Amino acid sequence: MAFVLHLLDEAFARIAGGDGALVETALRTLWFASLATLFALLAGLPLALWLADGRTRARRIGLTLANAGLGLPPVVLGVYLALLLLPASPLGGLSWDYRPPAVVLAQTLLALPIVVALSAAALRTLPPGLLEQARAFGASRPQRALLALREARVGLAAAVIATLGSALAEVGAVVIVGGNIRGSTNTLASTVLLDLAASDTPGAIADALVLVALLLLLALVLTLVQQGRTRDATAEGLV
Amino acid sequence: MSAVPLAARELAIARGSRTLAQGVELELRRGEVVALLGPNGAGKSTLLATLAGLLEPAAGRVERGGRVAAALQAPALARRSVRANVEAALAWWGVPRDQRRERALTALRALRVEQLAERPAAALSGGEARRVHLARGLALQPDALLLDEPFAGLDAPTRAELLHDASTLLRAPERATLLVVHDRAEAWALADRVAVLLDGELVSGPTAELLEQPPTAALAGFLGFSGELREADGASVRLRPGHVVADPAGPLAGRVTHRIPEEDGLLCELELEDERGLLQLRLPHPGPAAGELVRVRIDGGVRIAAGAR
Repeated sequence: MAFVLHLLDEAFARIAGGDGALVETALRTLWFASLATLFALLAGLPLALWLADGRTRARRIGLTLANAGLGLPPVVLGVYLALLLLPASPLGGLSWDYRPPAVVLAQTLLALPIVVALSAAALRTLPPGLLEQARAFGASRPQRALLALREARVGLAAAVIATLGSALAEVGAVVIVGGNIRGSTNTLASTVLLDLAASDTPGAIADALVLVALLLLLALVLTLVQQGRTRDATAEGLV
Repeated sequence: MSAVPLAARELAIARGSRTLAQGVELELRRGEVVALLGPNGAGKSTLLATLAGLLEPAAGRVERGGRVAAALQAPALARRSVRANVEAALAWWGVPRDQRRERALTALRALRVEQLAERPAAALSGGEARRVHLARGLALQPDALLLDEPFAGLDAPTRAELLHDASTLLRAPERATLLVVHDRAEAWALADRVAVLLDGELVSGPTAELLEQPPTAALAGFLGFSGELREADGASVRLRPGHVVADPAGPLAGRVTHRIPEEDGLLCELELEDERGLLQLRLPHPGPAAGELVRVRIDGGVRIAAGAR
């Protein structure tokens, strides 16, 4: 037990001391995850808006695929993406293999089904006829999209936070396509593997603690957003 | 400025692959209110949505001589304040930002809901939401305003109040108004003309003329002419309960087959002697018993020539 406490003590000391590599990895992790979330939102929200109006077969199929994508094992995506990024492969011309863009691409592809499925689910809770009525009052397509996003904002916030959390914690695909190169493509989660391989257990524990702290922070933000919505609803006499 | 801001020419309307009506001819002129009646499923809302440009015509065309706004059946207010909802509609309509607040408040005042302006839309009662919904449509000041069942889902007193206010507000010299209504009383109260969508065809005419003298048996049946008196030449007289009067010296006699108690009396169904038809009439409580013979005379009704559907 004393040994474990000693390891924890050392891990906390590194965090408290602002270990340079740890801070750099944490910032890189946040950067990769933020970019991936942004790209997934840019690609996924229009798709979610289209799928949310699931009255045609194509939309129902799209929604089913997005839901299925939630269970996609990251290593599977990582393997196929790594193959596509090899120099002789279709995406080889990008020269992204084992470089940060490959990590962001992998995280974006993993985040996309989360954005699409959760956003579409949030958008399907809009009051019936809301968008059709806006159209009948002259709202353009972008205005209707903005209205939908605004009305479903609590559900969308949950989708964003789930996406960001997933990107922060992702390991398999990141390691396969990025090579887990220290100082370049490693993230907090993947650095745990590097540290354990190098027998730096306090480093692995510190990485894990910082990662958990970030995830807890996200959970806190989500809770505050939801509670804010509940307070609004209470003020409106809904609950 | 076109005198006819909205017109349907040889219009066919459809939901999916099912054609609901065809050959629809309708002109909405500025300054008039037209009520659209029809049984459930006849295609009233589909016609309104097609006229509004929300659905494509299955055939024919819709001619617009001005801007058309439609207030659909569900108020569908966004999760924001009442005023913000009206202002959002004005923004979509293209009204400059500095005019929106005043126009929104003016419309809310006209509908007597100005005091609700800052209240969240989700906190409104059904009647209040209907008023705000109507205010949104009026605030836009369109050339043609289409309203889909603006009184749907309201209790009787709330509906009566809104009907009273709407009878003034819907009338504007620069605007044509079409409203889908559920019953004839609303058409009587609001409309200059009535259009009835029945069996895939649209028949229109001045309110009193169409509601009192429907040209076909099917239209008469839909418009409440529930009684039928068959004549020797194959024609028939269609009658509302109010056209049949109990009279001991009356020329017709029939036996009571059904008795339906109502608030102000009894609705009786009579089967006439010699198989001349079925009539309905209202009598005071307690009224005749089932099987009892009642003599009546006819005071009104509409004669439908033989062969007229």
